[in-house]
Amino acid sequence: MSDDRLNLLELDVDGALAEAHHGLTRAGFIVAAAGAAVAGLAATTGEARAAIPASDQDVLNYALVLEYLQAAFYTEAERAKALSGRPAAAAKVVGAVERAHVQAFRDLLGKKAVGRPHFDFRGVTESNEAFLKTAVAFEDLAVAAYKGQARRIRSRAVLTSALGIHTVEARHAAWMRYLNGNLPAADAYDLPRTRPQINEIVASTRFVVDRPQSASKRTPRYTG
Amino acid sequence: MQGGNTLLHHRLARAPDRDTITTTRGDALRTAALAAGGAIAAVTAVGAAERLNAAPSPEQDVQVLNLLLLVERVEVAFYEAAIENAGLTQELQEYAETVLSHEQEHVSYLENALGDKAAPAPQYDPSGVTGDPDVFAKTAARLEDIAVGAYNGQAANVTPGAFLAAARIVSVEARHAAWIRSIRDADPAPDAVDVPYSERRVMRELRAIGLAS
Repeated sequence: MSDDRLNLLELDVDGALAEAHHGLTRAGFIVAAAGAAVAGLAATTGEARAAIPASDQDVLNYALVLEYLQAAFYTEAERAKALSGRPAAAAKVVGAVERAHVQAFRDLLGKKAVGRPHFDFRGVTESNEAFLKTAVAFEDLAVAAYKGQARRIRSRAVLTSALGIHTVEARHAAWMRYLNGNLPAADAYDLPRTRPQINEIVASTRFVVDRPQSASKRTPRYTG
Repeated sequence: MQGGNTLLHHRLARAPDRDTITTTRGDALRTAALAAGGAIAAVTAVGAAERLNAAPSPEQDVQVLNLLLLVERVEVAFYEAAIENAGLTQELQEYAETVLSHEQEHVSYLENALGDKAAPAPQYDPSGVTGDPDVFAKTAARLEDIAVGAYNGQAANVTPGAFLAAARIVSVEARHAAWIRSIRDADPAPDAVDVPYSERRVMRELRAIGLAS
């Protein structure tokens, strides 16, 4: 870790990624036996300079957009100061984690990282009830989205990092469900969702907008 | 051996799929075989695995799935004993009964996938940590964290079929972990990224909480 930032390629507390790291720092990490396109990529800080397959960059950018969405949501909730009690405390903690995910993906992707979209949360950050309902939806969606993309990931290091984030999103989902009075774990299995399914759901919220605007009554609105 | 491995792959293809979410019992799992098999065929590579023996293989899947089965069996024994003996409060009782039903499904799924390659169930008495609600809750929180770490630590070591099955389970373990932590008023998600556990660490931590010898 450097600058207190989350370095996804250094997620190696238990040595589970030690050999993958060795490969990364030694010669670039190439796993696609069939010769898939591998794009050179200056990754994060320190000496690690990773070659992440282009298809992995695509998945990472998709995940980055979902993290932008979540980070903006929780950060706006925190700044609006309209929440109270445990939801307010949760928004603060989860917001910090989602921002760390954003920064980690941006570091990992470097110049390939997509920009932050504009958001308008239409007031759902301004009451405990609307906040929790939206948070439950976002977190369950994130779990399904990561699960839907995980099998596309070729790099072992990226895969293990993405799965570690996937389960954190599941923890958030259970947390928000608990606060909202829902069963935190409703089924024995969580199922994946495809990108078109996720995109359709996100589009239906109309939280992503073309240009900065806000129906929010309170300021300042979070714009990143 | 070859025949056995083919059978394992076939059984793994019975991963629960979206159409079976409300009825994920044995026969429902079987109905998902075709859909999951198609998904497996679309996957060419998960990643190079150096951690265990070599690249993911059906043989390695047996080893990994048996580790995960062990964890799930420990969970079942733990929750069964606690429901019987711990004198749980209403909230803990709801948690324990719900989670037990999930872990039983996971055990059935993994046993079915492994067939005659399933290791014998561990014989270990969990009574040391299931006689008191506070000890139960504290142990449950650590046990669910171990389960999350075990699945995450093995994900890159298995073939696509086993991967898809494990991916559907691991986030449920994470939900359990956050649920019991919420009940205990502990931080449900203390890290930005959940750390993967090696097999050695899984066993070490199970011993540390009194659930393995």
